[in-house]
Amino acid sequence: MRILDRLWQALDERLDLAPLVEFATHKEVPQHRHSWAYYFGGLTLFFFFVQVATGILLLLYYRPTAEAAFESVQFIVTRVPFGWLIRSIHSWSANLMILAAFAHMFSVYLLGSYGKPRELTWWSGFLLLLLAMGFGFSGYLLPWNELSFFATRVGTDMVSKVPLVGGWLLKFLRGGEEVTGATLTRFFGFHVAVLPMIVTSLLGAHLALIQRQGMHIPEGLEEEAKTHRPLRFLPNFVMREGVVWLVGLAALAGLAAFFPWELGSKADLFASAPAGIKPEWYFLFMFEALKLLPAHVLGIEGELLGLGAFSLAGLVWFLVPVLDRGSQAGHRSRAFLVLGWLALAYIVSFTLASFAGVFK
Amino acid sequence: MRNHLLTAAAVLAVNVALAAPPTAVLRAPGKHAEDTCTSCHLALDDARLRTPAQLANSDIHHTQGVTCAGCHGGDPNSEDAAAAMNPAKGFVGKFSRQAIPEKCGSCHSDPTFMLRYVPNIPTDQLAQYRTSKHGLALARGDTNVAVCSSCHGAHGVLQITDARSPVYPTRIVETCGVCHADATLMARYGIKGNEVADYKQSVHYAALVKKNDLSAPTCKSCHGSHGATPPGITSVSNVCGTCHVTQRERFDLSPHKDAFAALQQAACEGCHGNHAIAHPQDDRIGVGEKQVCGSCHSAGDVGATAAVAISGALAKATAAVTGAERRVERVKRAGMLMDDAEVKLEDAHQSLVVAQVEIHTVNPTRVEDQTKAVLINTGVAEKLAAAAEAEIRYRRTGLFISLVVIAAAMVALILKVRAIER
Repeated sequence: MRILDRLWQALDERLDLAPLVEFATHKEVPQHRHSWAYYFGGLTLFFFFVQVATGILLLLYYRPTAEAAFESVQFIVTRVPFGWLIRSIHSWSANLMILAAFAHMFSVYLLGSYGKPRELTWWSGFLLLLLAMGFGFSGYLLPWNELSFFATRVGTDMVSKVPLVGGWLLKFLRGGEEVTGATLTRFFGFHVAVLPMIVTSLLGAHLALIQRQGMHIPEGLEEEAKTHRPLRFLPNFVMREGVVWLVGLAALAGLAAFFPWELGSKADLFASAPAGIKPEWYFLFMFEALKLLPAHVLGIEGELLGLGAFSLAGLVWFLVPVLDRGSQAGHRSRAFLVLGWLALAYIVSFTLASFAGVFK
Repeated sequence: MRNHLLTAAAVLAVNVALAAPPTAVLRAPGKHAEDTCTSCHLALDDARLRTPAQLANSDIHHTQGVTCAGCHGGDPNSEDAAAAMNPAKGFVGKFSRQAIPEKCGSCHSDPTFMLRYVPNIPTDQLAQYRTSKHGLALARGDTNVAVCSSCHGAHGVLQITDARSPVYPTRIVETCGVCHADATLMARYGIKGNEVADYKQSVHYAALVKKNDLSAPTCKSCHGSHGATPPGITSVSNVCGTCHVTQRERFDLSPHKDAFAALQQAACEGCHGNHAIAHPQDDRIGVGEKQVCGSCHSAGDVGATAAVAISGALAKATAAVTGAERRVERVKRAGMLMDDAEVKLEDAHQSLVVAQVEIHTVNPTRVEDQTKAVLINTGVAEKLAAAAEAEIRYRRTGLFISLVVIAAAMVALILKVRAIER
């Protein structure tokens, strides 16, 4: 123990760590009827850690070329000891991370926690969700199987609709006119270098902002929070979060063992697209809505109009802390609350309906 | 000398009868024919006279520079109707049915002329037609039989590779059926008229229309097209053997070959039927009810004993393939990659197909050689499936243990939280 104490003392002298420990031990988490919502962000973080760890393990065997990608994943899941588990956990954890991120975002939104002074936290969180979806989109192609190949072709094709720069964007994403081995190598680069770099720094900022500002008490629950003794962040809240992480781990283990992620068949660039090509579930609400649009609306291409509408909706969602003026004074408006519930209802209903085959 | 003169006269006579059109009525090959015939006929009110001009636009002859005068004679450059359709210039309005094959043959039997348009095009259609049932009947003066235009159309003739052509593989059955499905008409020739309907029940027709397999046999594959004639008893196996080469080879090795020949029985047809050929079923082998061997053999004789042995070996192999396939599929559904087992199943399937071919030797040993290979491969696939099932159990046990560990950690944490929050 003496060695540890001396090590701590040496570090503290040089880095002045005592105030940080002081901060952590005195940090408190308010308690009220909706304090369950505070655990979603941590759960998302847990899945992110799992992604980093399993992703690095997959990197040991994965080969990012059109000739070898599928075979290398096949090798991982059949020959590498516990490779099937690592790959399956990576795929399941990716999906659960997005699900947890959506739950986190909607709980923050519906409890009105985006208002002043937490605008920056909201914006960084919004960008993190987009980046997570980018992780999902780029990672989906990496096994180079039939489904992922065609889903990427459809998905990247959508950017070509962007006015003026669409053609350039398409070439930038695909590394050429078509989805080829060049696209795979490029997506691999995004997936393991570009996105992790941006996400890590943005995630650092997001977490720092939360630590700096503390947990938000939803409007109307201030009195209730006063009547409950707040939880100490260390160790009480961290231990409770630990229980949630263990639930996440158990879910991952169960899903990976009982529903191993399928590999499918290798992508064939010259084959015709199989029927029923769908993107990952978190893109379905947009995908199905775009399919429902007629070819042309008022002379404008339907798909372009849809993408424009989604971009605009995304922008409104992003700018909510500014647009909802009441939130700046701590009173978020009822209109934005209704908007949040409508958005949630739309996303959930379209996603479920797509799984149920309503849009066939 | 006299012989030479006679030969020269005969050649001249054939050349006169089969003369390709004069160059004045042709345009450059590949160039769409323009003539005064179509421009006038398009403006006519009588649909009977207008339609040929409308169809000319898509007609292979017209698009290759052959004007209407190529067949009908006359002057395709004159704008005066009387001059354009002057019989003195060879104009013929409507051909008699008997004249049609010779008229078409005047170009299509001339290799020099045809080579200007298509290299390697056959030029023996007319010669074949003359030997066909249709051609022979026509020569006897029966004008009910098919001539060139009955199948290819008169105007608006399309290339046979054009999917809209009435002789394209997917359409030829209907084309033959125009006459051959007409039982009343066919009765005059001693033909039942149910052949087309029967063929539509067959495995060949299913391959053609369901799998879009253009190599699947149609009427002309067995009967010929221009030289259409029913294959005789002795040639049936040659006809089927064109595609089913291995089956024919195996049949030739069997004692059935000589026996069928002695009985004047059509080889393949005896067991498989003709137009309504169904997908062969292993359970048709035997001397029982609805089994094919029973028409010649009876229980206890050499043939019946062989049939029982063959049938038993096939049933065992088929059951092994089905069982192994089900097991591998079940393991695959549980998320295991079973590529190795699938290769073995494919091998087993191949051997089973070869066993089904070996049936034609009616030699149980040869069939059993293949069914043994089936059983070896299905055995390996079963072993691989068993290993995968063990791996699934191992994973689930591992999961159970890790869940117990996780649950214990959760309980410990919850108890700790309760303790410090008390």
